[in-house]
Amino acid sequence: MPSPPPDWVKALTPAGPQGSELLAQERAQSNINVDKLSELLHTKEFLQRQDQLVKLLQPEKVFDKSQNHTLGRVERLQRSLAKAKRLQQLAEKHQWSMEELHAANELIGEPTPYGLHASMFLVTLREQGSPEQHKLFLERAAKYEIIGCYAQTELGHGSNVRGLETTATWNPDKKTFTIHSPTLTASKWWIGSLGRTANHAVVMAQLFIGGKNFGPHPFVVQVRDLETHQPLENVYVGDIGPKFGYNTMDNGFLLFNNVEIPHINITSALPSPTLVYGTLTWVRSNIVLQSGGVLARGVTIATRYAAVRRQFQDRDADVNAGENQVLNYKMVQVRLLPLLASMYALHFTGRGMMRLYQENQQRMKAAASPGQDSRGAGPEELRAGADLLADLHATSCGLKALASTTAGEGLEVCRRACGGHGYSSYSGIGSYYADYLPTLTWEGDNYMLTQQVARYLLKSARAVLSGKSADNDTSRILRNYLDRREKGASFDILENDADIVEAFAWRTAHLTFEALKHRDAEKRSWNSLLVDFWRLSTAHSQYLVVRNFYEAVSSPNLSQAIDSDSKTIMHSLFRLYALHTLEREAAEFFSSGAVTVRQITLTRTVAVMKLLDEIRPHAIRLVDAWAIPDWQLDSSLGRSDGKVYEDLFHRASQENPVNDLTFDPYPWNENVLKNQPGKSKL
Amino acid sequence: MPDFTDNLRPSQPDGPTTLARERAESNISPKELSHHLLSADGFLERQSRILSIVQLEPLFSKEKQQNLSRPQRFKLGLARAKLLRRLKDQHKWSHDEYKMAEYLVDDVSPYFFAPGNASEAQRAEWMPLIESWKIVGAYAQTELGHGSNVRGLELEARWDGKTKEFILHSPTLTASKWWNGSLGRIANHAIVVAQLLLPKDGSENKYVSHGPHPFIVQVRDMKTHLPLSGVVVGDIGPKYGYITMDNAYMLFNHFRIPHSAMLSRYSSVNPNTGIYTKPEQPALVYGSLTYVRAQIVHHARLVLARAVTVAVRYTAIRRQFQDRDGDKHGPEMAVLDYPTVQIRILPLLATAFALHYTGQSMRAIYQSTREDVEQGDFRSLAHMHSMSSGLKSLCTMLAADGVETCRRAMGGHGFGGGSGLIQLNNDYLSKPTVEGDNWMITQQVAAYLIKKMTAAVDSLASPASDKTDAIFKEYIRNRGSSPSGLDVLASDRDVVKSFELRATTLTYDVYEQRVLKKKSWNSLLIQLHKLSKAQSQSILVTNFFESLSTNSSLSDSTKSVMWELFRLFAFYTMENEAFEFFRCNAVTKSALDGLPARVQELMSRIRPHAVNLVDSWMIPDYLLDSALGRYDGRIYEDLYNRAHRLNPLNKITFNPNYWEDEIVKGSGESGASILSKL
Repeated sequence: MPSPPPDWVKALTPAGPQGSELLAQERAQSNINVDKLSELLHTKEFLQRQDQLVKLLQPEKVFDKSQNHTLGRVERLQRSLAKAKRLQQLAEKHQWSMEELHAANELIGEPTPYGLHASMFLVTLREQGSPEQHKLFLERAAKYEIIGCYAQTELGHGSNVRGLETTATWNPDKKTFTIHSPTLTASKWWIGSLGRTANHAVVMAQLFIGGKNFGPHPFVVQVRDLETHQPLENVYVGDIGPKFGYNTMDNGFLLFNNVEIPHINITSALPSPTLVYGTLTWVRSNIVLQSGGVLARGVTIATRYAAVRRQFQDRDADVNAGENQVLNYKMVQVRLLPLLASMYALHFTGRGMMRLYQENQQRMKAAASPGQDSRGAGPEELRAGADLLADLHATSCGLKALASTTAGEGLEVCRRACGGHGYSSYSGIGSYYADYLPTLTWEGDNYMLTQQVARYLLKSARAVLSGKSADNDTSRILRNYLDRREKGASFDILENDADIVEAFAWRTAHLTFEALKHRDAEKRSWNSLLVDFWRLSTAHSQYLVVRNFYEAVSSPNLSQAIDSDSKTIMHSLFRLYALHTLEREAAEFFSSGAVTVRQITLTRTVAVMKLLDEIRPHAIRLVDAWAIPDWQLDSSLGRSDGKVYEDLFHRASQENPVNDLTFDPYPWNENVLKNQPGKSKL
Repeated sequence: MPDFTDNLRPSQPDGPTTLARERAESNISPKELSHHLLSADGFLERQSRILSIVQLEPLFSKEKQQNLSRPQRFKLGLARAKLLRRLKDQHKWSHDEYKMAEYLVDDVSPYFFAPGNASEAQRAEWMPLIESWKIVGAYAQTELGHGSNVRGLELEARWDGKTKEFILHSPTLTASKWWNGSLGRIANHAIVVAQLLLPKDGSENKYVSHGPHPFIVQVRDMKTHLPLSGVVVGDIGPKYGYITMDNAYMLFNHFRIPHSAMLSRYSSVNPNTGIYTKPEQPALVYGSLTYVRAQIVHHARLVLARAVTVAVRYTAIRRQFQDRDGDKHGPEMAVLDYPTVQIRILPLLATAFALHYTGQSMRAIYQSTREDVEQGDFRSLAHMHSMSSGLKSLCTMLAADGVETCRRAMGGHGFGGGSGLIQLNNDYLSKPTVEGDNWMITQQVAAYLIKKMTAAVDSLASPASDKTDAIFKEYIRNRGSSPSGLDVLASDRDVVKSFELRATTLTYDVYEQRVLKKKSWNSLLIQLHKLSKAQSQSILVTNFFESLSTNSSLSDSTKSVMWELFRLFAFYTMENEAFEFFRCNAVTKSALDGLPARVQELMSRIRPHAVNLVDSWMIPDYLLDSALGRYDGRIYEDLYNRAHRLNPLNKITFNPNYWEDEIVKGSGESGASILSKL
């Protein structure tokens, strides 16, 4: 690394006022109790554990983050595996729970090559394996004696599992299956942990018995030798190459040339639909819950930096006034503060989803009778507790799409709001955004998922019209719309919070019946309605977020947990999220008759502006409350002590390997480096 | 090394078959359309000629560059820049030809320097050295603590009357120069912008600042290439993109430079008296910035066209799920046939054409304005400057967001290195914040429009002074009277008028708030941003309309598709801002409700021509560097080749056991020793 700068440089400080002073001033102008709010968001246990883990992990050299942005792909993956190994060693030493291991991995801040073993491989074996298979695979996998992954998607096939091309043909004589890749597009592709790390895979393949196709089934297949770690014969496996992000993960490809596996390797205990929908609902609800924290990272960085960064005098201010904090500009506020509100909104929505999910699990367990699970093929056809599960499942599809899109795109808004310095890797946002983006595609592509929401809403609307509606919130809002449609809505969105929620419900119901008219009365094709469905799903999910946020800020829990001033700000955040969303989707709210032109204009020019003014003084404390450790942020711009410029300069001058090299700049000299004979190796 | 995978083929119908069918189905001639778009200044001919040269150089092969570390990638970038420069001499390339080669190689070049404010004498001294590349230069304006606000710069240039020198000094850490391209490791000279401090009325110790001024300064030794004493300079580290550019930090410690270092075309200091001579025409200073912005807009169309080319070809080939209303056992549907995919990609295809016509118009306006200015007529300068600010903001946002939208519309494979959109995204995302932050500069548009509106109100009785004035006056006269009567769904001309009316109404609203009601500037910033966007969108729509209306060379079949693209761009834009149009009386309620269906209908009409339309942009495969966007459609073969044969990671065997610290099988090396080698 470069040698330290001369003394005259070391002696320099940023021009005043210092970042630390500006942040202190920010924190002094708000009376929000940060600790109480943190506990409300995360619980005391989580915060304590986070502290302990940071103390344990940060000093370890292997977890150093300073070169994450400069290394080549090969070096990065090597280091990533070293980190994964060390984490696993620590997990063993400290007897970590899954939650602790997960929390530690979050602090490390990047996916590792053990990722899919620890999640999908173990879970699949546990849930879908027989006792015999547990003994054969699960026990060894739990001890990392075999390392696995989950191989479903193929080069030519993603979301549509039925389209998979890999085959598993039953050989009745030998009692074996032959796994085979008939085409190039049959190659497994994108499989996490498979590229260089795993020696086993759960492979999804079309099951053929006596020439008949029984659809995709999972098989456990060994792919590498346990000693040499070389691929087995007739198995072709490798890493798929560099990506937009996620470069510390070895996503793999995998081809089979008539590989025979024993009968025991088909995981026979296929999960019940209830379990599948239950698991999917849980996974997606979790994405919603996490999206708040993902966004919080970007917002924390951008908000702190905007409080430290100063630029231009206020146009109306005294000529000799100093430069204005960027956070005081309305056009910065209008980008950051609604996202600040969104991260709270998503967090409370995720919480609400998880609670509903757990309540429903209890109810289903209580109501379960033998054999019931084998009945249905989809969530709509289940019964006991099933109305709620169907509602939950659809809800989780739409919310997963909305929440991950909001978080992903929000991160980019935060990065751009940091202006030029946002483009530096030291902002800590760019690479985090790139690593997060797959979430918009996996566990159901965000556009594809919206069809499921629409299908459910159409079904509910038909049920309401025929008087056979289920007892859930979706049916309630649809019925309510039908009852009042003739009279029209008159929601007082500017004065009454409950009316805001109702206005969102109204718009959703309106769009549902519009879509139903297109589909049932006008007989439009499903395909031609996809854009309408996508809009409908977005509207529905926005309603759910608004409702969940409203319930959270109105709940007695909140009043007990935080003081009344903080509670007032939480209400302002709710209103900002809701009204800013309403204003952005103004045309739909207007067309549906939920609000008037005058109301929208007032929302835009008065209400939102007032909310920005109300929230602005509390912005720093509101991000502080998220309690993201500096080590996790890994950002010069977002440091909690405000030493933005010192840190940027330190990293540029001291942690930047390019400054170790002296270049030869002249074009007629082929040498790239000074004093180095011959051409540089590339 | 041969293996069983060599004989595997993708399942049918494969990419080449699909693209051949797509191309045959449309009556658009890519040859005709590409001639219309790109032949004006010999672009197409130049592209194919230069391509044949650069494609042959092994150093310009893009195969492995995504795997390199920052230092390695930077070295590769410099090696390429050097070779390009030598090829320029070898082939006696013109400036345009050299730029074409850079464009095709597609690395941000660390050789980037355009000297501006030198006097004639200084030009005579420096330009030969710069042109022969004995001097490698950079431009150092922004600082660690200071970006867009040039007045806030902290670096000092203090005049020492005794020695007749300036003393450059960085008083604080935030005064460090920052982000200056080519300066980090490459340049040996820089044009440095510093606050000019001159003695106050003959006083010895009191200085007064005359604001920021440019100085040309040597910063590295010409032999050793090490920084001169009193200068600390280096690269600022890894970034989101621009990996081959050495953006710099730079600090000075009482560093002396001669009187001649101050660039004196527009202002100067008398070496004998220390007296300052003011610039004659400050307006000229922003002329060059306007030129840069016009270039940015013109470039944006090709960036967007490139992303759309990849997305259209891939989604035409990629299949997923059966049509829900169709045969359950039939082939899967092409992804591009889903309206949810179309609505992300096809409006961007239309946008690339919209950017094209406005880019052309901006270049023409820049030329005519420059001629006016040279004749001493500065009237059109303010107009052009303000328009260029708004368009830079809108067009770079459209292109940057568009590239990312295309990448995401391709699902999983869009995330992979074979998409060809990763470096494009990384590099292009600098554009929304450089050369004037996209949000900041919209104030310039709004300020200009408020001024024009104020003038229109004050001189309502006088004849209109220009087109904007005429529109404003007509608006003021008709204000508050009956509905506009525009029928956007029926008339293309009404579409243009509708955009005009919306921008004018927003201008009047802001005028009312600021001038009549005296609202604070800060409280209006969000509205000003919206106004700038509305105005710029109106310009895009107008230029698109005018160009198609006056064009007589395109065949009827091509032209009718171009009109559909115009409508798609206009209606899609309108739909996103539907409420605003309605509130401004620029569309009726029934038109507002009819927009979504119209957009979908237009997309279904454009869909059959999508592949031929992107073909017309003639982006070579070498530039695309994309498995998904290849002209021949062999996407899966290429993806597999990149993963299997070109991926250095697959040459390494790992030791996966966590209880063993060894990382690479057989190396015996732990994570710790990998670290220590860095």
